[in-house]
Amino acid sequence: MPKLTIDNLEVTVPEGTNVLEAARELDIVIPHFCYHEALGAVGSCRLCAMMFVDGPVTGLQMACMVEAQDGMVVSSTDPDAIELREHVIEWAMTNHPHDCPVCDEGGECQLQEMTVAGGHGVRRYNGKKCTFTNQDLGPFVQQEMNRCITCYRCVRTYRDYCGGTDYGVFGSRNRIQYGRFQEGTLESPFSGNIIDACPTGVLTSKPFRFKTRLWDLQEAPSICPHCSLGCATIPGGRYREVQRVKAGINRETHGFFICDRGRFGYDHVNHQERPRQARVDGQPVAVAAALTAARERVAGMAREHGPNSIAFLGSSRASFEGSVLLRDWAAATGSQQLVYEAHQGRDHAARTLAARLGEHGRSLEDLRQSDLIVLFGADPLAEGPMLALAIRQAVRNGGKVIVIDPRPVELPCAASHLPLAMERLTDVLTALAQKDLHAFDNHEHAFLENLSEQFDSAQRPVLIGGADLLGGKGVDALCSTAAQLSSAECAVGVMTMLAGPNSYGGALLAGDGPDFDTILDAIQEGTIRALVCLESDPFREAMDPSRAQAALGHLELLVSFDATPGLAAQRADIFLPTRANAEMAGSYMNNEGRLQAFQAVIDPGLPISETGAGNHPPREFFQTTPGSAPEADWWLLAELLERDTTLAALRKTIEQSDECFVGLSAIDAESTGLRFSAQGSLPPAAEQDLLQTGVTDALKLLAITGPVGSHWLAHLSSPLAATQPKPYVVLHPEQAEKLGLSAGDRARLTTHFGHCHVVIRTDEKMVNGLILAPQLWDTALEGMVPGSMLDCQLEKEGKA
Amino acid sequence: MSELLPQNQIDSFKAKAAAISHPHELIVDLLRAIQSHHGWVPDDGVLLTAETLGVLPIEVEELATFYDKIFRREVGKRVIHICDSICCWSTGAEMITDHLKKSIGISLGETTADGQFTLLPTCCLGACGDAPAMMIGLTTHGLLTTEKIDEILQQERAAIAAEG
Repeated sequence: MPKLTIDNLEVTVPEGTNVLEAARELDIVIPHFCYHEALGAVGSCRLCAMMFVDGPVTGLQMACMVEAQDGMVVSSTDPDAIELREHVIEWAMTNHPHDCPVCDEGGECQLQEMTVAGGHGVRRYNGKKCTFTNQDLGPFVQQEMNRCITCYRCVRTYRDYCGGTDYGVFGSRNRIQYGRFQEGTLESPFSGNIIDACPTGVLTSKPFRFKTRLWDLQEAPSICPHCSLGCATIPGGRYREVQRVKAGINRETHGFFICDRGRFGYDHVNHQERPRQARVDGQPVAVAAALTAARERVAGMAREHGPNSIAFLGSSRASFEGSVLLRDWAAATGSQQLVYEAHQGRDHAARTLAARLGEHGRSLEDLRQSDLIVLFGADPLAEGPMLALAIRQAVRNGGKVIVIDPRPVELPCAASHLPLAMERLTDVLTALAQKDLHAFDNHEHAFLENLSEQFDSAQRPVLIGGADLLGGKGVDALCSTAAQLSSAECAVGVMTMLAGPNSYGGALLAGDGPDFDTILDAIQEGTIRALVCLESDPFREAMDPSRAQAALGHLELLVSFDATPGLAAQRADIFLPTRANAEMAGSYMNNEGRLQAFQAVIDPGLPISETGAGNHPPREFFQTTPGSAPEADWWLLAELLERDTTLAALRKTIEQSDECFVGLSAIDAESTGLRFSAQGSLPPAAEQDLLQTGVTDALKLLAITGPVGSHWLAHLSSPLAATQPKPYVVLHPEQAEKLGLSAGDRARLTTHFGHCHVVIRTDEKMVNGLILAPQLWDTALEGMVPGSMLDCQLEKEGKA
Repeated sequence: MSELLPQNQIDSFKAKAAAISHPHELIVDLLRAIQSHHGWVPDDGVLLTAETLGVLPIEVEELATFYDKIFRREVGKRVIHICDSICCWSTGAEMITDHLKKSIGISLGETTADGQFTLLPTCCLGACGDAPAMMIGLTTHGLLTTEKIDEILQQERAAIAAEG
């Protein structure tokens, strides 16, 4: 570990640290543009000059390009270094316009900070400035090229880090321009990161444009609610609406960047149809009255029909604290009917993972360092896009990626792909563990033999699974294979994509209780008469929505707590509005069992854009804010259970009652979170076979999670609306030819849900003989619950 | 002129690209081949290059726009690159450029109405020893005077006429 002296202070840093980073350890900040922790140093902006006074390197050097070495004596305050930085920033500023008062970057402009830090105060250049024609880059990113100082950060983020292929840099000298070959929407699902990466106002958020000056924005550290990875975010709100999200930093999970779904999926908080009013039997009531009604009716039902006549359904969207209180309510009632996921496959997958992950758990940071990643039934761009970026970094570091999946899994990096039917994924896992591949034919045999050899030489291999396709049995096989392939020298890691931000937390709390399909049977039979839904919508989230809707019609009492306009919220006898993630403090447990805390950004209330309908809001005065009834899920449940309603007290109680959650109170919202060693219980064995097909010669359709359109919260966010596809299905080109179809054709899809119109897509990377249909909310494909297999017919209706 | 590049040349570039580990090395060669056949490189020329070499269109465009000797817009039959750098400035480039502009009746960056000449400033011709200098096609002309320019223009006009 080299020890060096910077500005007369000594610092010891790890091998390979550059001098700019070493200075930062001492809180000495040298102005810089091109250096970025995730992107590395390139030495192109020439701004981080420091004087190397003594030691192995001497003279004026770019601090980011010099590796810290023993005995270096460096000065950041040397007059020559200061003068050089002053000139460099003056050059960078020559063409920069004086439009700060109307620039959306104003308030967080790094160029402005660096200009001041660099010592450039008075502009001497009086010549003409370069001007450029902007490109329309689609619904997310606004370009204003005239402000560019050509630091290259956007291209390094978009192309190098995120693997985008349609954004680059053109020209030379003062003609340098960034953009696409031809004007159009940026294709990468990580495009929004160039907004964060740009140090000035060239690339800003289009949906956020001209909404709020940044010093008026309320911000707080949060955790993204859109998938199970738990990326740190910083939502910003004003006028009672969330207006934007930028990436937070968590070096253990996502790093510095987030996906576009997380960045532009905030608008569910502001959704016009979001239920904000407590109701009992269709009548609006105060929250306190609805809580009393819920408490008394549930207790009354327990007295009359026994405690097990009430079922409690949590969800992956609810906070960890709220989920604990739901368990406490079930326990206080005496009911054993407690489950945290309406989707059976996802429930079994999450509970199996929570029971078996243990030492095999890996973070996204571990993945970035992995040398062999094998995906079994996991589609990162659909199920958790930042996983795809972590995999890309592993490949950039020399790692290999292998995909075994019925779907044509796209990744932003090179990968080898074996198309394999869903029901055979578990067979492959078992075969690999036992090193017995005789059941596979030539091509598959060769592929798997090669994979098996790669395992033998890998140092840090990780197996990745997806809950949708693997279910409980698959995740069990994944964990068993990881255990079998592990040796004293090399532990095989596991990561599994779950349904939502707190799937793992719910799975830990569910224990070995019944799954929701069992509960549905009991509701159908009439033994369960009441259902409490915490931020879940069993009408649409259960494996078989038509069966669920039929059974749920028998309920005598439906209680719903929710922040979104779902069917359970609409049909509930007692409804309690909850706060959205950005409106509350709480925590989620991500898919590696890492508990991460988040804070409230804004208080709930009808957005002023809505109450004012574009004008000044009404000049009426009330004691309360309109639409401010929603409370945090944990607050409502604590109130209902007559507990202390502060989060600190609640977390203390959880720590006292569950030893395995000690440390919960101490988790800081800006920390990397805490992985608990808590171990869950396996779900009850009676998992239905995921294949629900009757006719053997019928066309088989596999419902999947699509990259866009399949995620409920994202679907409720208007900035993402432009990316929503029309209903489509994907076929292997050979299968399409057999059916007389080609890409772009319009076709009629018939399933037991009825008929609907779809557009044909083809992909030769997928398994032949299967039709893939994404679940798309509020379209004819809404009922395509991921992981379910249906019989279908497909007939051509029109040409492309 | 409408054809970007004859098929046999495209095939030959494809074969070369397949035989080397970094087909990106051939981008400039292929762009120049298109330019010498077609006169300039339209968007389709960029796409053809990308497809032929198996690289991204954006990677081709980055190089095509970096080099000022690759023309991404239609140019005249003769492109005159007049040096716009320090050695030429100090030996009277401004006067030479003015004379050129007057002789062919256009400003920098323009093409004559008859499509004969395009006049472009260029950052360096590597001919500082012969400053002031200009380049027409692949021929560099140094130690320019107004008389010498008149002579060169006359020769070029005659050559264009002879080409028909």
